[in-house]
Amino acid sequence: MIGQSLNDLWYGFGIALQPHNLMWSFFGVLVGNLIGVLPGMGALTAISMLLPLTYTMHPVPAILMLAGIFYGSQYGGAIGAILLNMPSHPPHAVTCLDGYPMTKAGKGGTALGITMIASFFAASFGIMVMIFASPLLVQIAFKFGPTEIFSIMLLGLLAGATMARGSPLKGVAITVVGLLIGIVGTDVNSGVQRFTYGIPELSDKVELVALALGMFGVADFLRSVNRTQFVGSETKVRLRDMRPSKAELKQAFFPMVRGTLIGTLFGAMPGTGPTITTFIAYAFERRVSKTPERFGHGALEGVAAPEAASHSKTQVDFIPTMSLGIPGDAVMALILGALLIQGIQPGPQLITEHADLFWGLIASFWVGNILLVILNVPLIGLWVKLLQVPFRYMYPAALFFIAVGVYSTNNSLFEIYEVLLFGVAGAILLALDFPVAPILLGYVLGPLVEENFRRALLLSRGDLTVFVTRPISAAFIGLCTLLILAQIFFAVRATMRKRREGLDAAAPPLSNVPGIE
Amino acid sequence: MKWLACVLCTLIVTVAQAQAVYPAKPIRLVVPFPPAGATDILSRDLMQGLSARLGRQVIIDNRPGAAGAIGSEIVAKAAPDGYTLLMATTSTHSVEPTITPNLPYDAVKDFAPVCLVATSPNVLVVPVTLPVNSVKDLIALAKAKPGTLNYGSAGTGGIVHLTSEMFRFRTGIDIVHVPYKGTQLVVPDLISGQISMLFDNIVSAQPNLKTGKLKAIGITGLKRSPLMPDVPTIAESGVPGFEASTWFGVYAPRGTPPAIIDKLNRELVAVLQSADMRARLANLGADPVGTTPEGMAKTVAAETAKWAKVIHDANVKVE
Repeated sequence: MIGQSLNDLWYGFGIALQPHNLMWSFFGVLVGNLIGVLPGMGALTAISMLLPLTYTMHPVPAILMLAGIFYGSQYGGAIGAILLNMPSHPPHAVTCLDGYPMTKAGKGGTALGITMIASFFAASFGIMVMIFASPLLVQIAFKFGPTEIFSIMLLGLLAGATMARGSPLKGVAITVVGLLIGIVGTDVNSGVQRFTYGIPELSDKVELVALALGMFGVADFLRSVNRTQFVGSETKVRLRDMRPSKAELKQAFFPMVRGTLIGTLFGAMPGTGPTITTFIAYAFERRVSKTPERFGHGALEGVAAPEAASHSKTQVDFIPTMSLGIPGDAVMALILGALLIQGIQPGPQLITEHADLFWGLIASFWVGNILLVILNVPLIGLWVKLLQVPFRYMYPAALFFIAVGVYSTNNSLFEIYEVLLFGVAGAILLALDFPVAPILLGYVLGPLVEENFRRALLLSRGDLTVFVTRPISAAFIGLCTLLILAQIFFAVRATMRKRREGLDAAAPPLSNVPGIE
Repeated sequence: MKWLACVLCTLIVTVAQAQAVYPAKPIRLVVPFPPAGATDILSRDLMQGLSARLGRQVIIDNRPGAAGAIGSEIVAKAAPDGYTLLMATTSTHSVEPTITPNLPYDAVKDFAPVCLVATSPNVLVVPVTLPVNSVKDLIALAKAKPGTLNYGSAGTGGIVHLTSEMFRFRTGIDIVHVPYKGTQLVVPDLISGQISMLFDNIVSAQPNLKTGKLKAIGITGLKRSPLMPDVPTIAESGVPGFEASTWFGVYAPRGTPPAIIDKLNRELVAVLQSADMRARLANLGADPVGTTPEGMAKTVAAETAKWAKVIHDANVKVE
């Protein structure tokens, strides 16, 4: 089987290295790298903006490019965090903690060098996992019918809703909003128009691109007006500075390995965001360290581990998305949407049915990561300069591109109104501390859950027990139950503990304890 | 008064000149479906030929949405000057008018037919594990085990659904409808055997037929397809007269001058006769037609009546 995988990988390299595909892959990582450096312009914004471009492209270069943006932006994010103490995206916020102190100590080049090595190592590991785990999935490919897909999607939805940052109640609420937005349009089963209010444009669902760009692009811009300050930096990074010493390499090696493993684990679990992954990698590193007091003052381990985790997660994230159709986070949900638009149903069949796409993508990961390492050296200086472009030029330009991108999805102005509406709604939600990513999860997964549920019942002639009598489906339903039980358990334990602490602290005036009066 | 006369004269002369040299500017062909779909590819191939013959570019304008209703409405309300045309299909002009209440256009009153360019039959495919090798076998199996076979479709009220309902009604068998969001999404469940039959596009069915995962047992057209000459038509396998093909035709807004319509019709027919265009259409699984405007009106009316009867007989409702 390993031989077969290597053979397929060889075939994949043949596809990834075709000039046309290589060009789009290069374009993707370049845009991603740029976007990664810019604050507020995440991979999500960039992918939504370029999504319409892919409608007329062949699926292979389209997905290669979108994936390139995704992992390209990870490299870019680290640059802003280390050199300017500016977390362009949340996952890299933790890199600031030790990366920026290193820059202040004149070791910024080393931090970037280590980041690059850790990233490449972690990405390669993630790719290997993808190569060898995927053929296993092919074996069970056609055992996945509507019944099984429903159970998996349900798990993805639950995981996404309950594991979001912050208040679980808000996470669930916002997922439900996503589900409701997903319902808009023509029902597949009956042909009935739902929530369209007689507007013909809505009969084809709310536009994915408009939703994503509104919630993540426009909303973010509106929120950061007059808030973002650009810190100039005189840092000059030369290639010589980026080469870490032997001792530094040794110091960073095990944190890198541990970070990679944490990222791989979280990547395989859908619904865990990239931010939580890097924070856990950092916290774990600090706990196992013999000198935890160095953390926060320029500890090399504090840069290597989270960056490695972020990269291996990015690669491994593609496994559940491509082979099960469950997106791990919002970016993956968007890539899933791009596949569906191309008429490609993600699922275990994808690997055999679209072998060129799957293996081409895997090979392009490697090609892209090598391109990024090479690109980063000359471009770092340029990116740092770009960060000094004032807000009043950069953000209106970005808004203009958003409008163009959304218009071109259906050549109609209706989508521009949609993006405006979602932008304003998104800004309000952000102001109220709601996580907006679960909206996209609900929007993409909701209709799939419903469709497959009804399809499974049509096939079983209305017999609900199919979901537990078919073994694969039963296993996933079991996991769903466990997830809900665990959530209840943690919630109950937290309240109990709070109450007990409350009792201990406020023992004399008993009337202060909530619930007693 | 003098200046008004002058202006009018100039206007008349300009209009006359514009008509004499039609087309004086690029023509827009609205394709009411997304890029890269069957209608889009067919339109692009055809319009490349038409552009060359007219000496003016015909621009494809994709206006997808609401099963083709959004693009059709744009053309229905466009100026009838011959510079806005529509690539219509069975869906927009033969099925939607019957099935959708409050359609924003009238398929007959708002349009002037130009030329029916092509028809495209489907192929009936079954999983290789299903013990049938012909349409007769399939009907026998369905009659032996009523209510156990499932058929997939690309959505309620779509052409695949209606073709299957017509097949069900004509053969008197009992099969269950399982809708999907596109025929390509039915294929995995068809291969695994959960779905027993699908009226699929001839071209997109080829890969799975070649690798032996699916079997083709009948063509929905009245003639066999040059892409698979061994597969009999359904009409010759025991369901006489069974015919369900998608048609593609060019419309102009109602009120377009007949001279322009005649010119477009002549040029389109000429494009369809070229060997190169015939080869391209064959690759798409489509048969070139090339009617007169009157012929198109007649064919579309007959198709609309046929599908209306299926919708009525099978009691298909969309709210």
